[in-house]
Amino acid sequence: MAENLLEVKNLKKYFPVKAGVFKRTVAHVKAVDDISFAVKQGETLGLVGESGCGKSTTGRTILRLLEATEGEVVFEGKNIMELDKNEMRAIRRDMQIIFQDPYASLNPRMTVADIVGEPIDIHKLAKNKKERNQKVEEILENVGLGAEYMNRYPHEFSGGQRQRIGVARALAVDPKLIIADEPVSALDVSVQAQVVNLLQDLQQEYGLTYLFIAHDLSVVKHISDRVAVMYLGKIVELTDKKELYDNPLHPYTQSLLSAIPEADPKKKKDRIVLEGDVPSPVDPPSGCRFHPRCPKAFDLCPVKEPEFKEYGDGHFAACHLLEKE
Amino acid sequence: MSKEALVEVKNLQTYFYTEEGVVKAVDGVDYEIYPGETLGIVGESGCGKSVTSLSIMRLVESPPGKIEGGEINFQGKDLTKLSEKEMRKIRGNDISMIFQEPMTSLNPVYTVGDQIIEAIMLHKGVKRKEARQQAIEMLQKVGIPLPEQRVDEYPHQLSGGMRQRVMIAMALSCDPQLLIADEPTTALDVTIQAQILELMNSLKESYGMAIMMITHDLGVIAEVSDRVAVMYAGKVVEYTDVDSLFEDPKHPYTWGLMNSIPKLDKDVERLEAIPGSVPSPLNFPEGCKFNTRCPLAEGKCFTDEPELIDAEAGHKVRCWRYKDLEEIKARGERIYADQGVKE
Repeated sequence: MAENLLEVKNLKKYFPVKAGVFKRTVAHVKAVDDISFAVKQGETLGLVGESGCGKSTTGRTILRLLEATEGEVVFEGKNIMELDKNEMRAIRRDMQIIFQDPYASLNPRMTVADIVGEPIDIHKLAKNKKERNQKVEEILENVGLGAEYMNRYPHEFSGGQRQRIGVARALAVDPKLIIADEPVSALDVSVQAQVVNLLQDLQQEYGLTYLFIAHDLSVVKHISDRVAVMYLGKIVELTDKKELYDNPLHPYTQSLLSAIPEADPKKKKDRIVLEGDVPSPVDPPSGCRFHPRCPKAFDLCPVKEPEFKEYGDGHFAACHLLEKE
Repeated sequence: MSKEALVEVKNLQTYFYTEEGVVKAVDGVDYEIYPGETLGIVGESGCGKSVTSLSIMRLVESPPGKIEGGEINFQGKDLTKLSEKEMRKIRGNDISMIFQEPMTSLNPVYTVGDQIIEAIMLHKGVKRKEARQQAIEMLQKVGIPLPEQRVDEYPHQLSGGMRQRVMIAMALSCDPQLLIADEPTTALDVTIQAQILELMNSLKESYGMAIMMITHDLGVIAEVSDRVAVMYAGKVVEYTDVDSLFEDPKHPYTWGLMNSIPKLDKDVERLEAIPGSVPSPLNFPEGCKFNTRCPLAEGKCFTDEPELIDAEAGHKVRCWRYKDLEEIKARGERIYADQGVKE
């Protein structure tokens, strides 16, 4: 069994809601509310959920791009929540992020060479400019962009190519963990596959570990080894991808799986259509947060929050129904 | 099909005159929509799928856009020739449209009720009180809880899914014969998307209207369409019923699209990615427009543009080499060979 590269323990991230003339805090958005999971060395853990479930906040809090409200993030045995600014900078070399929007995440005034080279400069990984540019060239080559693109600006590239530049920037410092936050959802369907294949190739070549955050369960299932499903700031189910698809335990996972329209007109699914919308994370429902929409909710659900427990070999879920059985 | 088409689009050309040159967004598109059916239009960004629908509604902004040629026949009238005044009677009345982002299509300073009431009063010529009653009924039909209360709320008070329901209510309030839905679920979460698709299917049955469903999502296409037109670079490249399309895609682009999306029920090691990206409409290639990305492209493909021809009865394809693709498929081979990380 591979070692855990990253462990997230009881992570919480609350955003204050301010109101009134004095901007007093009147409530909190509980974006991430007490989640725990681990990512093993060399694996891809998928984090999936609908908008507002806290999946992106989780990614950013792990990197301390947002400061956690509570909880621990242990990277290679070290709790990085306790590190000071300098130590944190050093550890960011090992943890990189790829963003969703390849249009917004690249500085339009910088050339590709500078975008990809900047992290190399910050971490002083090259002795001189020549060595740095050599490195950049190599990385660009590895993500499928030739060295001839070095002196171009982001606007000269298509969405797929920009995302490759984003991947190159993350790779420039030779990281161990890459958090990919919806890396393909802004891309055209035919280009998504290119980037997904690229990420898989790079994982093999560099021995990378991924935390892959996305709303698209089919892409997550394709690329991940294990998948965690989030709903309203909580992880409701976590298991390996085959088990998740073959034997989803949580009613939310079940309905999520059944809601995805499949590219096969012959297949008529027994669809579980959830009623209503995702409630506000400012005032989440009592007990199990899914109970107002859950087709299987019973009297205990609004009262008590279910525990996140293991139900057979590495299959975790949080649901009262499972405890009853 | 023996039925008479509700809408018949013939050789439609919609161009945009920009500073950088002429963008042929829609360049010779043909399709028909029959009463009561759902025609799916699928393609990636920039393929012209939205511009065809805006052309039908005559909502292409001019300048820079202009319908340069072709016909759009609807109930014996060519919509491209109508005056703005005549067109206004058709819009919202006979043909309505819903868009991807309901927040941008609803007016934020009016209540949702006001906006639906306005449409009803305008097209049906009823009094305000009557129109309000009808608006509440419509909101109820699209599954909005407490419609008597919601009718007086503003768009920002509603969630994304609810706003799209309001848009649908507004679009259907005048009993249109055709509903054009341009990526109606793309901005929504999957569980909400499932609700909206279900709603559209059930309304289609009860109203007997035709739907033109524009989307990039093959899953949505498979779910709702009767027939499908696949568009690439301003042209229809494949046109057939939904079952034939998914069982037997004849265009290399359609084939590539289907294999580039991961399937929930199948595990594949690698996705079959289509190399490269969509060419810029300012400089489409000579010959077949897919030739820059097509692994089968050769000789003729680079010089002559293929026509949309009947490969089988009711199955049209625009490709010189569709028969070769047939053989490759029969041998069970992939055409998008693995290019490694290269584009």
